[in-house]
Amino acid sequence: MKKKLVVILLITLLPGIAYCQAGKTGKLPKHVITLENTPAKRPYSPAVEAGNMLFVSGQIAVDQATGKLVEGGIEAQTRQVLKNLKNVIEKAGYSMENTVKCTVLLQDISFYAPMNQIYMEFFPVDPPARMAFAVKDLPMGALIEIDAVVVK
Amino acid sequence: MKKIISSKNAPAAIGPYSQAIEINGILFVSGQIPIDPETGKLVDGGISEQTTRVFENIGAILEQAGYTFSDVVKSTCMLASISDFKAMNEVYSSYYTENQPSRAAFAVKDLPLGALIEIDTIAIKQ
Repeated sequence: MKKKLVVILLITLLPGIAYCQAGKTGKLPKHVITLENTPAKRPYSPAVEAGNMLFVSGQIAVDQATGKLVEGGIEAQTRQVLKNLKNVIEKAGYSMENTVKCTVLLQDISFYAPMNQIYMEFFPVDPPARMAFAVKDLPMGALIEIDAVVVK
Repeated sequence: MKKIISSKNAPAAIGPYSQAIEINGILFVSGQIPIDPETGKLVDGGISEQTTRVFENIGAILEQAGYTFSDVVKSTCMLASISDFKAMNEVYSSYYTENQPSRAAFAVKDLPLGALIEIDTIAIKQ
């Protein structure tokens, strides 16, 4: 009985002990998240995980199948951006509900309201903290780019 | 807990901010523009020279804080012109060669001192 208790205690405590040791030495392994169709020539990763934090790269409305921006204006682009974001977050083993902060970059501030309509569909309850603003230009002439910080 | 990082090999802040702040193994580096720390002025040249200087500044601050480029998890690149995107990427990829950080890049309306590029950085200690 005692032996069993010791074994159970060890099993439950070991991961915690290992975690504390990692904390002491500051070991938070940086882990790069890659996707099957990530182009090799890009000098950034789709997302990087360190400890229980996930930093997701700014997503634009590229359709993974065609490699091109989707057609259909700000609504279609916002939907594709959030689909891409969700895909990266889930590939990394996190979920949209774990998102704590988003930065929304718009090519024109008049996109703010239609962006919000679609955005709410992806973050229906307890939405993450956010900043949103209009920039001068986005890569590939995109209308919207969103990056995210996710914490499990 | 909060530690202020200050390096002489990177430009002094041009406003009410610190070069970087470290807390709980996370380093937040302020947006760097291509100021030469010796002259206090923007470096001469175009986007390639300016991007290189920005990375020298980031490198000096990372080093002062005891971090390296391989600890960087997130980078935000602000350009004065989206047409500098490719040239910026070429310099960028020479500093981040493997396990590259996540990134957001875009063109803004204006940057301080009329700079062509500003990059801010988050690093987490390995």
